[in-house]
Amino acid sequence: MKLEIKELHASVEGKEILKGVNLSVGQGETHALMGPNGSGKSTLAYTVMGHPKYQVTSGEILIDGESVVGLPPDKRVKKGLFLAFQYPVSVQGVSMFSFLRAAYNNSRPAGSESPTIFEFKEVVAEKLKLLNMDESFLNRYLNEGFSGGEKKKAEILQMALMQPKFAVLDETDSGLDIDALRVVAEGINKVSGPQMGSLLITHYQRILKYVRPQFVHVMFEGRIIESGGEELSRLLEEKGYTWIRGYREEEQAPPQVGQTL
Amino acid sequence: MPQASLTSFDEGLVGSISASLGEPSWLTDARLEAFRQFVALPSEKSPLYTKYAKTFDIGLDRFKAAPGGSEIDFRSFFTGYLTGNESDILLQGNETQVHAELSRNVSSKGVELMSFHDALGRDEGAVRKLVEGRLVKSETDKYAAFVNAFFNCGTFVRVPKGVVLDKPLRKMLLLDSPRTPVIEQTFVVAEEEARLVYLEEQYSKGVPSPAFVASTAEILAGPNSHIDFSSIQLLDDQTTHLSNRGVGVSNDARATMSSLSLGASVSRSRTNFYLNGRGSFAEGFEIFFTDGEQRYDYETNLVHNSPDSTGSTQARGVLKGKSQSIFKGMIKIVKEAKNARSYLAHHVMILERTAKSDGIPSLEIDNNEVKATHSASVAQVDEEQLFYLTARGLPPDEAKRMVVLGFFEPVLSRVPIEQTREGARFMIEGKWEGEKRRLVDRETLLAATGELTPEVKESEDIFERHYKYR
Repeated sequence: MKLEIKELHASVEGKEILKGVNLSVGQGETHALMGPNGSGKSTLAYTVMGHPKYQVTSGEILIDGESVVGLPPDKRVKKGLFLAFQYPVSVQGVSMFSFLRAAYNNSRPAGSESPTIFEFKEVVAEKLKLLNMDESFLNRYLNEGFSGGEKKKAEILQMALMQPKFAVLDETDSGLDIDALRVVAEGINKVSGPQMGSLLITHYQRILKYVRPQFVHVMFEGRIIESGGEELSRLLEEKGYTWIRGYREEEQAPPQVGQTL
Repeated sequence: MPQASLTSFDEGLVGSISASLGEPSWLTDARLEAFRQFVALPSEKSPLYTKYAKTFDIGLDRFKAAPGGSEIDFRSFFTGYLTGNESDILLQGNETQVHAELSRNVSSKGVELMSFHDALGRDEGAVRKLVEGRLVKSETDKYAAFVNAFFNCGTFVRVPKGVVLDKPLRKMLLLDSPRTPVIEQTFVVAEEEARLVYLEEQYSKGVPSPAFVASTAEILAGPNSHIDFSSIQLLDDQTTHLSNRGVGVSNDARATMSSLSLGASVSRSRTNFYLNGRGSFAEGFEIFFTDGEQRYDYETNLVHNSPDSTGSTQARGVLKGKSQSIFKGMIKIVKEAKNARSYLAHHVMILERTAKSDGIPSLEIDNNEVKATHSASVAQVDEEQLFYLTARGLPPDEAKRMVVLGFFEPVLSRVPIEQTREGARFMIEGKWEGEKRRLVDRETLLAATGELTPEVKESEDIFERHYKYR
């Protein structure tokens, strides 16, 4: 089973951001996707999940060989996709508890019976424990007034409940101090396993000390320009993204005078 | 008794209503004085609001009325509306008070729940004082004057000094194609250190018909007393609704007004809180959900007449279809009201571009040592919220339902009366599903919904979350 992205081109408000992305994530694999600001990492995440503002102009997103392009987000969830948001929105008036319950019920295979409120309480209590989260969390409004760390933990809690086949984690490490980072990373490790493939989008190498990827990809200007093993992330950390830019320029013809880069 | 013929709202009708109810002459005179105001006043006095007057005009000219009540057999009339377990309830069918019931435990404490005219017969002196000291003054508003002149029914509630009621007193108005408008005058009085919860419900039954329900209510919280008043308006979409309330709060007393409005074609509702005593506290919750071509004109004013008084009113509404709403609200703090704290909020969600809403909050403050703040917004459903929920597997309809119903919660969850709070959720959900529901007791609610979701309670201090001080 695989999440495959083939020659994917995508635009936001008419502007092309993804310019032919190729990537394949197998079940049980952990991939890291790195790249400088504006390289298209978050666009890839949103496009895979089906955000209405992101238009696929060509190419494919396949889960187990079936295209999900054109499917609304909730149908993609049914196919086993999950996106941990970089900036989870807050929804006033919707309790964490009822939200999690709806998410849980809607991510289960068709035909399976939804648990009662009491059964669900047990399910969620177990996951909260796994992530060292307090039960009082459930009695708050969805992401409302959450600290950066709480928001990211809440995303991982949702992943733990929904048990996706493939998870895209969009900068789950951003905005976290070192302790929170470790807790969240441990959470990711506990939730992922041989039945889940994950794509970890990050700027920095620091989370990769805790969540060890087998594959590292570097994105630049809407394409994946380099793929390798863990060593690639260390190389990036050492040399910085300017190294990537330089690396690209060697391949391309030197810019003409007056041409904007 | 032959039925009197219907006439328009003229001076003759004032006299014939009063005569048919056997009223003393001072009351007839008070009606006639109100009638003069009614004739003299424009439909909208404040230049702040005149430009909205036409859109929200209740169209009084369409109605005619006649004196005299109609015969109603309450058992058949209220079939399906009562569980049989009700106590401490007053039932009214159209303009006719049909049944009042107080449990022995409550009546033995001297609590009164009866029609206005029964109270007039029992204690004319007290009623006269109340009428002459009305907070809803005829000279301030054409429609207040209208009700004061033409009321053909009314409710009287009085809880004596020191009596604390733990169960609500209820009043249910049920409409079934009334021949004449229902025009009510209500008094709810808590004497010193008394405590009461009052639930007012308005429903239509049968085939929708162009009916008219108008009312004024005087809610008077004596020193150190506590009144929680809740009002549920679920009239059918051909009914015109008019309401005027004055809430008077004495020293260290507390009054809350929770109102849920889902029904009527046109509704004009005004609540004035008068914080008259030192340390008085008043809190208003206005919750509404409109669709079709409903038009709601809401006004809430907080008048701080005394020091150390606290007032807050929060409105939340959702509009669908071609419905329209206007919210008017003013905080008024007089010079003597040092250390007053006041908060006014109006937040509305528009579900379709065809719906319209406006909010006009304003301040009039004559003392610098006060805190007063207001906030208002009109917004559409947030697409990013919808995306987030659908990315968690919720189908678009369910995501939207969750966001919209959640929108009410920050105000709804603060409604102090549990039955109203839970019932309001049930009724709002019903409106979302296109299903008519009513206020039900907890057992019925549990049987209908299977379970009650645990609630989120935000901070108790209404000022904690607001930092804009004047």
